[in-house]
Amino acid sequence: MGTRTIDQPQTLALEPVSRVRIRTFRGSVSVVGTDGEPRLEVAELSGGPLTMRHEDGALELGYGDWQRPNLLSWLLHRRRWRRRAVLSLAVPRDCRVDAQVVASGVVVSGLRAPVTVKVVSGDITLAGLSGTVVAETVSGAVEAQGTASDLQMRTVSGDLTLVEAAGGTVRAQTTSGTVTADLQPAGDDDIHLATVSGDVVIRVPAGSGLRVRLEAVSGQVSSMFPELTATGMPGLRAVEGRLGDGSGRLRARTTSGHVTLLRQGEQPAAPDGGDEAAS
Amino acid sequence: MSRVFAHGRLRLYLLKLLEEHPRHGYEVIRLLEDRFMGMYAPSAGTVYPRLQRLEAEGLVAHSQEHGRKVYRVTQAGRQELQRRRAELAELEAEIKDSVHGLAEEIRAEVRGTVHDFKQELRQAAREIRREQRYRRRERWGSSASPWAEAWPDRPGRSDGPGGPDRTDRPDGGRPVTPDASTAEAGRAGDTASSGTAEGGTGLEGRLARFGERARALARAAAPPSEAQLGECTTVLDQALERLAGILRAP
Repeated sequence: MGTRTIDQPQTLALEPVSRVRIRTFRGSVSVVGTDGEPRLEVAELSGGPLTMRHEDGALELGYGDWQRPNLLSWLLHRRRWRRRAVLSLAVPRDCRVDAQVVASGVVVSGLRAPVTVKVVSGDITLAGLSGTVVAETVSGAVEAQGTASDLQMRTVSGDLTLVEAAGGTVRAQTTSGTVTADLQPAGDDDIHLATVSGDVVIRVPAGSGLRVRLEAVSGQVSSMFPELTATGMPGLRAVEGRLGDGSGRLRARTTSGHVTLLRQGEQPAAPDGGDEAAS
Repeated sequence: MSRVFAHGRLRLYLLKLLEEHPRHGYEVIRLLEDRFMGMYAPSAGTVYPRLQRLEAEGLVAHSQEHGRKVYRVTQAGRQELQRRRAELAELEAEIKDSVHGLAEEIRAEVRGTVHDFKQELRQAAREIRREQRYRRRERWGSSASPWAEAWPDRPGRSDGPGGPDRTDRPDGGRPVTPDASTAEAGRAGDTASSGTAEGGTGLEGRLARFGERARALARAAAPPSEAQLGECTTVLDQALERLAGILRAP
């Protein structure tokens, strides 16, 4: 397909894609895994034409002058700040995704392949991803629902939330935000959640096998697991211990917030089971 | 309470699916997945709370059939659907024809789920913390506390199995008035005697009596509301601080 220029909103059918690389500025980027035909939708476009290169299954979307990864010098050209694109891609489920955008919200959903999303300012929304995921933003939230593999989330100012996350290697780090995680440890997990000035709330099922250490400097550390014991010292509150066979590892730390470890109840887990608490 | 459709218009689908036919939860999940062309699969954890909320709103009702809950639309639910028919059609077209529409819907959906989930967990965390504080405070009234270290020989702290053995050694420098009779009473039967036997003079006796009466009040109000708990916590914190100030003074 080679290289082409996109200078107005349009929808394009794509040839087979196995890798996507996106480098844009403002606007929004969505990548959705599909069993159907791959396609690209450009819903809005202003501030200059977009370049699309498609070779050997590798699709690149960006601006022609994105040459080297020196983001800072590139950013210094104010002219580029006018660039705005609202892109949506439907790609096969095993397509790798690498998106780096400046001020955009990003949605990635329904993929099995590795996903990397880096944003300067904007929220990242992830749903149904079974490959490894790296999601980083500077100012914005990262929200993930249904991840099944290794996961790395980072933000400076924003909340990190994981819902229905399988274990594996999980890293969630924020400076001024909360970390909220609902985890289903798989056995050999290595989970590390950290914030400086927010709370950390974790929920794991009752039968989890984890070595746990929870720390807070000026906040409270609480857990619903009686197996865990307080081991703090002056200046540091900590709770630690072993749950089940202790095959995985869970660490959580905050400086000025609270850390709470919850045990997952029975209610909404099973279909048509025990959800009597309605009305 | 009425934020049923506040986020993720997907809930309209829930209603629509149930209007077509009464269904049980699992079926709803499967059909939703179809609706999203397999691009997004809402989980049980997101669909069940939503059904419950729709039910709380009176838009759907459930009945037990073969041990499963089967949900159906109520009259109010039908009216709601009727009112939003256009919106639903538009949304359906959007999702079918445009990746952008679909992605926006997924975003709204995840947002909504994450928001609900965060609220639920933070609420649970708050309750645990409060309970923990409460327990710690209760312990202050019993044996495993700094008070016990200060007065290792005091009775009147009935509920401490780990409480220190009594030695009947009056702690000279402290503003308490221990004597054999109070100690005896303490040993005999605490709940009844510690308040009365130690009389009004000893700080220890007052504390025990205070603890008893407060606990009785708490039991009477059980379970206390959140606001009440919060206020009580504040009062207790302040009292403790003031006590610390007084007793630390030379």
